[in-house]
Amino acid sequence: MAAPCRHVGHHIKRNGSFLRINLDQLFASRGFRWTSALQQQGAEVHKESKEPIVIPRKKSWSSEAVLEALASTVHRDPTAYPYQFQDDPYLSPRTSAEFKLFSLSQESGRAAAKYFINNNPKFFTKDFAEPHIPCLMPESVALRLEEVSEEALKERITLRKVSAAVEMYDQLLQAGTSVSMETTQELLDLICLYCDKNPVQEGEPEVEDAEEAGEETKRRKHKGRRAADHLRTSWKENNNAERIFNLLPEKDSRCYSALIRGMVKHGAYSKAFSLYTDLLNNRLSADVHTFNALISAVPDIRDKFNERWDLITELLNQMNEQKVHPNLLTFNSVLKALRRCGFLAKTYAPQTLNEMKALGIAPSLATYDHILAVFYKSGSSGPNNTDIIQDMLTELEGTSFTCQDPHDVFFFSSAMRICLDSKDLELGYKVHSLVEVGDNWRLLGDSYQQSVFYGRFFSLLCMMEHIDVVLKWYSRIIPSLYYPNPQGMRDLLQALDTDGRLDLLPTIWKDIKTLGHDNKVDLVEELLSLMAREEHSPEVQESFAACALDVKSVFDGRSSMEWSTSSLSHVTTLLLRANKLQQAWDMLLLFKAKNRVPSEVLLNNFLSVCQSSGAPKRAVELVQLAAAFCLPATPVLAKTALAEFQLTDEQRSILSEFEAAPEKETE
Amino acid sequence: MAASLSSSGSARLMTALARSSMLHNSFESRSLHVTAVCCKNRAARIRIGKGDRPLTYEQAHHPHQIAHRKGWLSQHTSNLKGVEGAAERTVEDVFIRRFMFGTFHGCLANEVVIKRRGNMLVVCALMLQKLPPQKFYFLIGYSESLLSHFYKCPVKLDIQTLQDKAVYKYL
Repeated sequence: MAAPCRHVGHHIKRNGSFLRINLDQLFASRGFRWTSALQQQGAEVHKESKEPIVIPRKKSWSSEAVLEALASTVHRDPTAYPYQFQDDPYLSPRTSAEFKLFSLSQESGRAAAKYFINNNPKFFTKDFAEPHIPCLMPESVALRLEEVSEEALKERITLRKVSAAVEMYDQLLQAGTSVSMETTQELLDLICLYCDKNPVQEGEPEVEDAEEAGEETKRRKHKGRRAADHLRTSWKENNNAERIFNLLPEKDSRCYSALIRGMVKHGAYSKAFSLYTDLLNNRLSADVHTFNALISAVPDIRDKFNERWDLITELLNQMNEQKVHPNLLTFNSVLKALRRCGFLAKTYAPQTLNEMKALGIAPSLATYDHILAVFYKSGSSGPNNTDIIQDMLTELEGTSFTCQDPHDVFFFSSAMRICLDSKDLELGYKVHSLVEVGDNWRLLGDSYQQSVFYGRFFSLLCMMEHIDVVLKWYSRIIPSLYYPNPQGMRDLLQALDTDGRLDLLPTIWKDIKTLGHDNKVDLVEELLSLMAREEHSPEVQESFAACALDVKSVFDGRSSMEWSTSSLSHVTTLLLRANKLQQAWDMLLLFKAKNRVPSEVLLNNFLSVCQSSGAPKRAVELVQLAAAFCLPATPVLAKTALAEFQLTDEQRSILSEFEAAPEKETE
Repeated sequence: MAASLSSSGSARLMTALARSSMLHNSFESRSLHVTAVCCKNRAARIRIGKGDRPLTYEQAHHPHQIAHRKGWLSQHTSNLKGVEGAAERTVEDVFIRRFMFGTFHGCLANEVVIKRRGNMLVVCALMLQKLPPQKFYFLIGYSESLLSHFYKCPVKLDIQTLQDKAVYKYL
């Protein structure tokens, strides 16, 4: 090392003579004072006295860490079109119906491509992707094995061909070959999952059971459910699953489980319970999924609240005896069944929560949703204390969730409903901020649930917030996240009215047209009445008049929209206030055409405007029109016209006729 | 390569040679196969006509204006030194152009631009607003899915629509 040498040299130079004498002695004796190791040790001791150096542990970053960091600097752009669509004004949806139409047509295009790819696999098998991408290869759709064997049965099960699998199984039994237990169980799972029908392939029409499906859809429509429920199937008596199950020599718990869960899924609840008693008689034990299915079926078996709760407790006790551990879905089904147990729910729901806590199972959003439903009945406004939901939201603040239960997606919309019912704005903001944490927006559900959530949030804002904040939110969430329905637009109009910002009405009318709500007559009439109610400054009146003309053109363009007296008079008033005489006159003629009678106030208004703009001919025409309507105000009008206008003699004579005319007619 | 060998002069020479060799009846004659040529001074140039033919900016500028007034229609890195696969990319481009022309029949307003970023293929096209938007989306979903499965890489379509073709000049 350089340091010790320097020291040595220095030392020798200084104490040269002394060293020469002692050098031999020193090197003879071990002389470890000058070896580099010792010098180093000396240096280390010197350093350690200052502070310890802590070398941090190496951090391992994921491969997308840089991308995630960059993404966190970019927030949602409220002016951008939804990412599924092309970035072009012609191709972007403006109403919720268009949104659905475009996304569905894009999906059907993809389905058409998949159909071609799967039916012509030979063009798509060349694999040059490194590494291999399995989702871009054609899927095998056609059956390869045709002989009667267990492998063929397994193939049909993997390809989800229910009827073909059942046929193959029957053929195997007839041929006398025994099918392994494993395969039989899988076959039973398949049949019970799809309720003995082939799953609907994309692009293939549903030929079988078309009439039955039609009947079911009619029944469902009468119940007023949404389109998704049309696909609910019903378990038929003695279908293939039951037949195969009865033919089995020994039935183990997995077979029972498949049948019970299938029956519960497709609506045969009492059968499920009788099968469960069979299972108990055969001294078998069910698994946690079977118990979950049975608990969710309890409200459909028993009618009285306490009977339901007794059955649930009985099932839970049996679960305990059979040493089956409950999971999150067990507790969620208990709470869901409790929702239909009326007053008992308020006692037993907290107990269920305590059980969950004792077992260390973390609740999911579905749990919270069930609790909210138990404690906050919908539609009942009044002194509902919001303590429970406040505590809940404080506890959940900043947590990000994943979807663990299909019912999770209903939490946010029901929480917002409670905020709306109790008119609590702070709570609404809290719920919204929870949605914005991390990936929680995924738990808002499909587009319908999302529109419900944002609709309620927007109504709450319109009701409670100052108009500037409302407009800020309006630009933020509409139309990128939410296409308002007519009720939402009405709430916005009311908010504008409350805060006296009626000058924004023409811009709102433009938005109403873009959203496709300009065919809703009552919304348009409300807009017109708000505009025509009071006098405003001249620029505002000009913009209102332009808006009124626009409304008129919309009415004229659509044959389905009918003018009413109030809308006609509002439009005329607005045009008069902006001194647009010619257009106002056209409106009066429109009155005649639509067989509606203008009001006296309107005609007086018209006359005064005529006077201020100096159009005596118009005034005479007006009196003639009034006479044509046989209005009782005609003589008054004639008198004022005669008095205030500069008329020619001819006009005077016409008017004086009208002064007297009505008395004659009444006789 | 092909251009230099198959200029018309040398073609005539070679066919003359072939004929002469046939006359001499020699067995060592080898005929030269000549493909259809497109001379450099006629490629991608629309000639002046009566003045009623509308041209887009792309069509109006000749190929020597690429990198001066025009950009490239196909962007990939295979032409850099040491990078392979230029021929395969060209064949893919030809297929994609024909596919787009056929799928969006009558709707293309201009040439299709193909960009390769990473392993992604971005196909950019200008369309006319001839179809209602839902039909556009059907075709877009279909093309993206089919091309992705064909080329085993994500394919994205970037569509912009116009009312009419953007005319640059009339020739």
